[in-house]
Amino acid sequence: MVFSSLYFVYLFLAVVFLAYFTRKNVKQKNIVLVISSLVFYAWGEPVWVILLVFSSLLNWFFALQIGKNKGKPLAKVFTGTAIAVDILFLIIFKYTGFIVENHNMLFHTDVPVPQIVMPIGISFFTFQAISYIMDCYWETVAPQKSWFKFLLYLSLFPQLVAGPIVRYSVIEKEIDNRRADANDISEGIIRAIIGLSKKVIIANSLYAVVEQFFGSDITDLSFCGTWYTVILYSLYVYFDFSGYSDIAIGLGRMFGFHFDENFKYPFICKTISEFWQRWHISLSSFFRDYLFYMPIFGRPRKYINLFLVWFCTGMWHGASWNFIFWGLYFGVFIFIETKIGKKRMKKWNKILTHIYSKIIIIIGFGIFYFTDLSQLGRFFLNISGISMISNGNAFSDILTWNSMLNNIFLIIFAIIVSMPVVPKIKHFFNEWGNNTVYAVGKIGATVICCALLILSSILLVDNTNNPFLYFRF
Amino acid sequence: MSEQKTTNTKKKKDFNHLKRKNVEAAFSYLSVLIFTVVFGAVAVFLLVIPRSTESQIEKRTLAKFPVFSFDSYFKGEYTAKIAEFYDDTVPFRDDFKTMGYNFKSVFGFHTDEEVKVIGNIKAIDKNKDKDKNKKTETSGKPAEQSKAAGETSEKPQESTASAQESKAPESSEEKPEKMGEAEYTEENGLIVVKHNGHYRALELFGGGTGDSYVAALNNYHKDLGDKVKIYSVTAPLASEYYTPSNYSGYTTSQKECFDDIASRLDDGIVYVDIDTPLSYHTNEDIYFRTDHHWSPLGAYYAAQTFADAAGVDFKDLSTYKSETIEGFVGTMYAFTGDANINNDPEDFTYYIPENYDKCKTDYFTTSFQPDGSGNFFCGVGDPQHNAYLTFMGGDEQIVKVTTNVKNGRKLMIVKDSYGNAVPGYLFGSFEEIYVVDMRYCDVNLVNLVKDNGVTDLAFVMCAYSEVGGNADNLDVIRTQ
Repeated sequence: MVFSSLYFVYLFLAVVFLAYFTRKNVKQKNIVLVISSLVFYAWGEPVWVILLVFSSLLNWFFALQIGKNKGKPLAKVFTGTAIAVDILFLIIFKYTGFIVENHNMLFHTDVPVPQIVMPIGISFFTFQAISYIMDCYWETVAPQKSWFKFLLYLSLFPQLVAGPIVRYSVIEKEIDNRRADANDISEGIIRAIIGLSKKVIIANSLYAVVEQFFGSDITDLSFCGTWYTVILYSLYVYFDFSGYSDIAIGLGRMFGFHFDENFKYPFICKTISEFWQRWHISLSSFFRDYLFYMPIFGRPRKYINLFLVWFCTGMWHGASWNFIFWGLYFGVFIFIETKIGKKRMKKWNKILTHIYSKIIIIIGFGIFYFTDLSQLGRFFLNISGISMISNGNAFSDILTWNSMLNNIFLIIFAIIVSMPVVPKIKHFFNEWGNNTVYAVGKIGATVICCALLILSSILLVDNTNNPFLYFRF
Repeated sequence: MSEQKTTNTKKKKDFNHLKRKNVEAAFSYLSVLIFTVVFGAVAVFLLVIPRSTESQIEKRTLAKFPVFSFDSYFKGEYTAKIAEFYDDTVPFRDDFKTMGYNFKSVFGFHTDEEVKVIGNIKAIDKNKDKDKNKKTETSGKPAEQSKAAGETSEKPQESTASAQESKAPESSEEKPEKMGEAEYTEENGLIVVKHNGHYRALELFGGGTGDSYVAALNNYHKDLGDKVKIYSVTAPLASEYYTPSNYSGYTTSQKECFDDIASRLDDGIVYVDIDTPLSYHTNEDIYFRTDHHWSPLGAYYAAQTFADAAGVDFKDLSTYKSETIEGFVGTMYAFTGDANINNDPEDFTYYIPENYDKCKTDYFTTSFQPDGSGNFFCGVGDPQHNAYLTFMGGDEQIVKVTTNVKNGRKLMIVKDSYGNAVPGYLFGSFEEIYVVDMRYCDVNLVNLVKDNGVTDLAFVMCAYSEVGGNADNLDVIRTQ
């Protein structure tokens, strides 16, 4: 089931809300959430729901053993085993085809590539499970004694299939003791509707333009056309994924859970390091906390760990070489920035650092888009202008300018909304004014969000079954 | 008055002095209430209002509620289809779609000569296409050229390759699957142009060799011999005439493509060039702006050219009775999703021959089993969207028209939907007219021609069908 469908919004959610908000105590509410989460997952993956339940059982059991053997070598064994099993699941379901393909290519073998259907959201719930195991081992959280409550944590439907990767510590207390007051519910709804609108109104419209240019062979695409499309693609990925995170955070808040932010306006960054502190924060912080400081041959090795982290970041995004290049590409720039040093970079001209970071990020999204490496090669030739010499490509073309003209307001709107404008407006109404200003702001936001919900719903009539980009991860 | 003002100010002051926490709580409740009402209203609307069953815009039956089976459930198909049913059959679906398209039209600037690109279009490498054509030349002799077109084709170079090489395989296992209603594919790309205050949607033409078409027609010629005169009548797409000059690099010359294909047809097959005569009438409404078909007027000029080539009588347009359906918006609205197309409807004018009352129209199934008699020009439901169905009500049948003409000539038109608009103009030209859609024919066409004493066999279809997958059907129905 996808969030951006009328079925999810007006049938599934309506039933869940009705069941959830008519329950009186947390225990009953938890039962509603677990059942609805399993139904949500089973809707798309009737068989793989077994894997989700099995994974929760396994990790819950290992965490209990880790807790029982605190400080003993056995705790290490259980931790290692749990993580190995989790990673094995991921390898089997996500990377087997990729491994076999590369094996065949490298050793000129003809091993049949298994057609394994990847269970939706496996990357997210597996990483949640790993973070839980590690936190139990480090004793930053106490192992959950109830399997049911752990299943609730792992399967909670708002973040089950496309994140954010929620740490157990974030919702540990709220599993047993949470309260969603009117403000939580109102703010949650507003957040979820904003997320849905980001996806349906902006992201889907941008993607239609991207596909016009990148959707087929790009050999003859002009220099300006390539830049134009990859910029729109960068905006698309941001609105698609952050929209999904907004829906997850908003729904979570309505149910009384307070998830951490996953995106903090990444395009306002001045460096690549800052970009990754603002982009998919739950993933970058996962790698920072659980992999970056991992000892290699006895101790953490800064630069080896750094590249390991970025290799894994790329690999996590998909079983394809372009994702690995994408991760390492950012790794190289973060390595360079680390060498230069934060202090020195702060002294640089702000406009130049903005331009530098945007160029690197935007080209990075080009790497992200092209899973076909020959197309990726052409992308580099086009975006660098080399193809103007080597292939006689045009500097610009009428299609690009025409497309820009036909979408100019959408593009301007998308760029504005990708900046922290909404929080500033919200801050003004909440903090600067008196009660009247607050009331106007609240009712204004409510009315605007109702309009956005209806508009998104209308667009969904023609746009149903348009899966989120991050579903495949 | 001033007292009331003082009271209001006092109230305002009081409100502003309330504890923020209480104000937040009160307005949060109000906010939740508003959301609940709006959300609940939409949810109930979607649940209780009768669901749509078909879409006039998309011209399709909407999803049906799936039948449960354990197999489909465990494959995830059952649940997916329930969701699809719910999303696909939204009440007033077409109206909401139109609202959505209208909203999307605010994304950009609108100018007097604007062009909007839909789908993926690419610049045409015309040299590449020519090379391809050279390689696939099959026949050594030029096709006969329609005199009415006033042009003669250049003699193609002798080629050692035989037409037999491209003959369709005969064994049933090797027969290609028949293509359905698929004249438009997304890869072709569309543009919506505004000209003289009106919007027009155009399918851009990427070219093609038409190998299947050439092979099939040559095979028909071989099977039927010279007793049956074969005509190749290919309708250009509107983009041939209405593409803005600065977009000419994104569409290829259809005339050149047709000529090249004609040069590879066997001697004895008549190539009827309708591209040239149509080009003299581009200031008239020879193509619909909102539909992918030519208009009945465009079909008239094509029929006239064909009649000249066939050497039969042809009635002037002034002798026909015209009927007009106003407010027509055709298929291009669904293909482009462009609100401007929907907001700029046009007239659908068709022409009924004066001897119509003396003609008899018999309908047959695709297996040529009698399926009753009726009208050739049919009344259709929702004519504003379905006006093109006026001709025989659609494609999925074989139709025979018996006229009052006595000249011993019997015509069979093998066509795609472009061909539907043509037969009406030939009621005064042939004794019998058979209309067969190459996508919906389940009998052997050669036998059908022979069994019914057909004297003239015309292949009437659009450029896409000639170079695309539809042409594969021609050999399928020849050998089935």
